[in-house]
Amino acid sequence: MSHTTVTYNSSSRARLDMRLLSQAFDQSPSIAKIKKAPFLLGNKKVQIGDVFKISGQKLAKDIVLENANNKMDYVGHNLTYNLTVEGDCGHYAGAQLAGGKLVINGSSLDYIGANMKKGFIEIKGDAGDYLGSAMTGEKKGMSGGTVLVHGDSGNFTGDLMRRGIVMVAGNIGDYCASRMIAGTITNLGSIGKDVGRNMRRGTLLLPHKPQDVTGFRDCGRHNLGYLTLLLHELRRFESAFQSLHPMRRRVQRYQGDISVDGQGEMLIWIG
Amino acid sequence: MIINGVVIDDTFAEAFSMRATRVIITAINYKWARHAAETMTGFATSVIACKVEAGIERLLNNNETPDGRPGVSVLLFTTDSKTLEEQLQNRIGQCVLTCPTTAVFAGMYSDQKIPLGKNLRYFGDGFQISKMIGGKRYWRIPVMDGEFVCEEMTGYSSAIGGGNFLVMARSISQALLACEAAIDSMSTLPNIILPFPGGGVRSGSKVGSKYKFLNASTNHLFCPTLKSQKDNLLGKNIEAVMEIVIDGLTKEDIANAMRLGIEAICDLGKSQGIEKITGGNYGGKLGPHHFHLRDIMNESYNRYL
Repeated sequence: MSHTTVTYNSSSRARLDMRLLSQAFDQSPSIAKIKKAPFLLGNKKVQIGDVFKISGQKLAKDIVLENANNKMDYVGHNLTYNLTVEGDCGHYAGAQLAGGKLVINGSSLDYIGANMKKGFIEIKGDAGDYLGSAMTGEKKGMSGGTVLVHGDSGNFTGDLMRRGIVMVAGNIGDYCASRMIAGTITNLGSIGKDVGRNMRRGTLLLPHKPQDVTGFRDCGRHNLGYLTLLLHELRRFESAFQSLHPMRRRVQRYQGDISVDGQGEMLIWIG
Repeated sequence: MIINGVVIDDTFAEAFSMRATRVIITAINYKWARHAAETMTGFATSVIACKVEAGIERLLNNNETPDGRPGVSVLLFTTDSKTLEEQLQNRIGQCVLTCPTTAVFAGMYSDQKIPLGKNLRYFGDGFQISKMIGGKRYWRIPVMDGEFVCEEMTGYSSAIGGGNFLVMARSISQALLACEAAIDSMSTLPNIILPFPGGGVRSGSKVGSKYKFLNASTNHLFCPTLKSQKDNLLGKNIEAVMEIVIDGLTKEDIANAMRLGIEAICDLGKSQGIEKITGGNYGGKLGPHHFHLRDIMNESYNRYL
């Protein structure tokens, strides 16, 4: 069998900490051992085999999680393999991702890709708040890899983001790129208010100028050669970003947030 | 072995081991990309005094370059990786960074890496911007025409320098004509450069000298004005000898280039004053790579029969 299918077969309404499943996957490739690993259903201690039906004898590198829902937190935590989720996910999907590929054929709640290190997350639906940001208590957010959202993302997208690329095909909520340290955030739709608050460095690549660019200074219009390199990367993924021509490199550049002496940049497509 | 009246000498050309890297220079058009590449590969004919041998490999069209602009591929060869790093950094810094509209990218990827833009970024004085795209780090350095974009590292590999052959002709003009035909033909090949001016060399050297302070001197065996010397190798009909030196990434690249070049000369034939092709053979003193002319030309010889 080319992939392992993991099917959730409980009707519990409790939130599920899926880190326990990831840990079991990391500890042994044997499905028999994985099924016996501990899991929490609310405050009730159970075994993974009680809650999930897992196909095959040995864990494949491609895993499909079926019957997922938005009660499942930390799906794909510290992931190093390929995981496809059929359904929605809860909070912290792909948090601390470590080189794997997480595809969610649905939407997900907050903190997607928080502190992810490398790898790729694709969300076919919408993303919640704090996409690519830092987990509670961490000073730096996402530090590498790429997140692609086909729908919209919520508030504080890229908060404390350190490195990597966040692509949102739809709209982005308020406070995007707040406290951003570095990296790239781009979208094709609209963006909310208070963009780039306390932004230190990093790039926001947007199709339209936000209503409020307080804190940013206009640096004029430029042809930036590096945008072709970036566009080649954005166009690698099957998404609405493939409609962008790779030689489209004329932008209006704003620099900020000047209130924190920031050298972040907001690039607005021209033409 | 005689091809179209041209004698192919039963000897080998000696070559030595080198380290090589490739960079891709792009610009707003070929004119400026070439300006940068030609400046960068200036004074880079021989490692003897230039420390590096460099040349333009070929022109690249918009689809072949990372940033979709016209480009030039440049190869650099040195005897060791440390010198390669120094020469690359100095030449990119002084000749490419300074050239309007240019950008520079790695043209070779391997586990062995040397800095390309890694140290040049300090020219940005803190305003430089790092971008990780597709697993590669690029630097955006603010300059007066916008931004100079450069990739952080480039790969390097082992290579071979000093592949060669010598053309013996009845006159200077005939030797030149033959060399030009060979150079035109060889210039179409990837992975090689002809580092000397225009691709040809008139001052072929031998290893060593009567002077202790000099480790290379004129190859008097092939100087037509020294036919009186008893070890001179030129017959009475030969008035000029030209050498073509080839640096390549692999032995096959050099052998292919030699074959193509010698074929072009043999096409002209004895009727155009070409008497003989030989190789720079230094009795094994120069390097471990030996290119036997008759082995290389064996296939071509059968075609001419």
